[in-house]
Amino acid sequence: MNDKIMEVKGLNKAFGAVTATNDLSFGIDRGHVHALIGPNGAGKTTLVNQLTGDIFPDSGKIIYNSQDITRLKDYRRAHLGIARSFQITHIFENLTVGENMALSICAHSGHNFHFWRHSLRSGIVKEKLEGALGRVDLAHRRHLKASHLSHGEKRQLEVGMALTGDPELLILDEPMAGMGPGGTIELSKLIEKLKGTLTILLVEHDMDVVFSLADMVTVLVYGEAILTAPVDQVRKNRRVQQAYLGDGW
Amino acid sequence: MTSTLRKNSIVASGGLLLVILPILVSWSGHDYYISLFSRILIYGLAAVSLDLLLGFSGMISLGHAAYVGIGAYVVAIFFHHASEMEPLFTWPFVLEGSENGLLVLPLAVLISALFALVIGSLCLRTRGMHFIMITLAFAQMLYYFFVSLEKYGGDDGLSLYSRSSIPGMDLGNDIHFYYLCLGSLLVFIFVARRLVYSRFGLIVRGCSNNERRIRALGINSYSYRLALFVIAGAGAGLAGGLLANQTEYVSPGLMHWTLSGELMVMVLLGGLGTLFGPVLGAAVFLLVEENLAMYTEHWMVYMGPFLVLVVIFAKRGLFGLVAGGENGNE
Amino acid sequence: MLLVIEQFLNGLQLGITLFLMSAGLTLVFGIMQVINLAHGSFYMIGAYVGATVAAASGSFLLGVAAALPAAALCGMVVEFVVLRRLYEREHLDQVLATFGLIMFFNELTRIIWGRQPLFMEVPLWLGGSVELLPGLVYPVYRLAVIGVGLAVAVSLWALFAKTRLGMQIRAGGVNRKMVGALGVNIKLLYTLVFGLGTLLAGLAGVMAGPILAVESGMGESILILTFVVIVIGGIGSIRGAVAGAVLVGLVDTLGRAFLPAVFRMLFDSSTADSVASSLASMAIYILMAAVLVVKPKGLFPAHS
Ligand SMILES: Nc1ncnc2c1ncn2[C@@H]1O[C@H](COP(=O)(O)OP(=O)(O)O)[C@@H](O)[C@H]1O
Ligand SMILES: [Mg+2]
Repeated sequence: MNDKIMEVKGLNKAFGAVTATNDLSFGIDRGHVHALIGPNGAGKTTLVNQLTGDIFPDSGKIIYNSQDITRLKDYRRAHLGIARSFQITHIFENLTVGENMALSICAHSGHNFHFWRHSLRSGIVKEKLEGALGRVDLAHRRHLKASHLSHGEKRQLEVGMALTGDPELLILDEPMAGMGPGGTIELSKLIEKLKGTLTILLVEHDMDVVFSLADMVTVLVYGEAILTAPVDQVRKNRRVQQAYLGDGW
Repeated sequence: MTSTLRKNSIVASGGLLLVILPILVSWSGHDYYISLFSRILIYGLAAVSLDLLLGFSGMISLGHAAYVGIGAYVVAIFFHHASEMEPLFTWPFVLEGSENGLLVLPLAVLISALFALVIGSLCLRTRGMHFIMITLAFAQMLYYFFVSLEKYGGDDGLSLYSRSSIPGMDLGNDIHFYYLCLGSLLVFIFVARRLVYSRFGLIVRGCSNNERRIRALGINSYSYRLALFVIAGAGAGLAGGLLANQTEYVSPGLMHWTLSGELMVMVLLGGLGTLFGPVLGAAVFLLVEENLAMYTEHWMVYMGPFLVLVVIFAKRGLFGLVAGGENGNE
Repeated sequence: MLLVIEQFLNGLQLGITLFLMSAGLTLVFGIMQVINLAHGSFYMIGAYVGATVAAASGSFLLGVAAALPAAALCGMVVEFVVLRRLYEREHLDQVLATFGLIMFFNELTRIIWGRQPLFMEVPLWLGGSVELLPGLVYPVYRLAVIGVGLAVAVSLWALFAKTRLGMQIRAGGVNRKMVGALGVNIKLLYTLVFGLGTLLAGLAGVMAGPILAVESGMGESILILTFVVIVIGGIGSIRGAVAGAVLVGLVDTLGRAFLPAVFRMLFDSSTADSVASSLASMAIYILMAAVLVVKPKGLFPAHS
């Protein structure tokens, strides 16, 4: 198999007059933590949304495991092993933490036309729930309604949910945004632990986090990928520093 | 978890009250209340089925009365053919009319479900305001269809000369009929409760909450939402079948959208996203209607603004107020 | 053939009424994102006020002149007192609250005007018929309705395409916060748009007065047709409202007029009549279903 898990070729997306993705090409190596950085409004979220199938590009190609998925629906991509977290937390606020996690477990376990047995007592959930909650340190919160979690815990939960399906590619859109330093460290540790077991595309603002975790970095400015390089080179690259790090970051 | 305890005891005492109600009523001699409470149970059943859509899965159907009407017409049409001794149709096979409750009530459920399947599969292609308007429009289509159906009385509807028959019960007896309604309601609530907490229920509750997340997890919610729409339609059909028996009369008015609106009001009054709340809502709505109507024929002029106030200020409904805790997730 | 033209004009006239209703409603849906079931109530208010004033004064024009501000004023008061609190709320809340408003207005008209329908006379100067083509006589009043409707459609287009206010309204639909930041009083703007919508509903109501019976609850049957129009045309789009209204008006009228004849050619007469009348009453809903299958967002979805 190809050593690139995902490749993007000549991607374009415009919202009216705004070009959010501009002839963008880059690849993600299997097993890497690949960071996507760029100033606010650079088009990072828009790119992520195209990779996950939330929106479709105007033109260009998205290749995943040598398969063209450009027009594949979002829920089908999830079945191919692409999981994501959203920049704005997307959890099920009305459900308990346990139910949130159970739901994501069920999502990856065949159909869900099981009408009778309590979801938390179904075999697959019983088998996996404990581990899934434990992985993001939320076991003690399982009976709490998700809306009552702290911001950091919601983020943990969201990442935990994305992980339940054992994805091959995990896309995290600014998972640490708005978190206190404690939460950032927790999540960094988690990503560190996951490193090597799956591929991660990490959209992140905090350069310290990027430099400590990432193998490769793609820099996005005005929807264009101005650079894709190993993390060490990026640290030294003047263009990046001008375009991005120079702006007081 | 004291709020759970409180809720359970309220539900238990409410249930007990409903079970012994016929005894209380026959003591007091107001026999009329038996049939009023049968109606409350029937509307409660329809409201619970609607709440599966509104409260648990965020599908705002404004045409739920259509399925009540279908269920009612199934019972009435079979009855009509039985009393005329004329088969419903002779091709491709001969279908005779029937007064047997064990046949026509399940048929009412089944055929309502079938209509919900067809209509739902179209409506669920859309979201938000579109969905609201389309469910309403299809319900109104059925309304006009039955208005133009001269064979079954058109605008005037159909009279039944007696209630359906069920072996071992005398449905003509109001107390027997009351217990049939109560039994149906409790069974439906029990089934709905299992449903809501099952894996299936987890998915549809998730859809109401965050459709985008559901999709990102790899679930195409269409078929789940459609299945729930069908189940809700089936519940409404059962309510309709009972209602036809209760009033011994059906008319297109049963499908009119004002009835859909009233069912919604019952759900809201009782408590959105609860399984017992809608029954409470139906009781309050019908009792208020009954009592206000005694003082003024213009009771709706008070009910309307009251409703607006409830929406704006008391979203949690009566069940929420008495039982405490939070809605939406029991 | 003449019959076809006549029915075509009838369909157009229904379409015009539907357009006046749906133009206002689609703006409210599209711009404020609020679903308003009570729109039919303003149609009813227009009809009642118009009929009452026309009967008292003997002047149809005075009736119209009273109906429009009455509907607009009621609309703005309702917006100010109730709807404004619901913009940020879920659709379900909006549905329930406006359902409450319908109950209120229907009962209120019964209290004021009683249960008997009112009838409104066609004014003398619009009475009678003209011969449009040799053999085709058509009521002047209905032609006038069509004319007024077309004039309103053109003015609405001019309002939105050419004026500052129209631009603000369209921008308000796109981005509420941005328009607010530009110093436009968005609350006032919404109240005005709502008033404009209900004014159009009132106009539709008073013009329908001489054609239909003026009675409590008259707003709901037209409301549901209006929903069908908006679903077909696409929410928030005036162009869609025009197309949907004309389509629904024509399909409904022509279906009722000609389906029985068509069916009588195909089947024996008793089945034909009952099947045809059922089908005719369902024709527009079938049309709606067909549009939905092909274009779930309507024929002319507004850009979101
Ligand atoms: N749905 C949309 N409609 C219109 N413009 C959008 C939309 N989504 C994003 N944009 C625009 O596209 C650009 C890129 O946005 P985004 O992808 O969110 O950037 P980032 O995530 O890098 O901060 C911005 O200018 C933003 O305003
Ligand atoms: Mg972003």
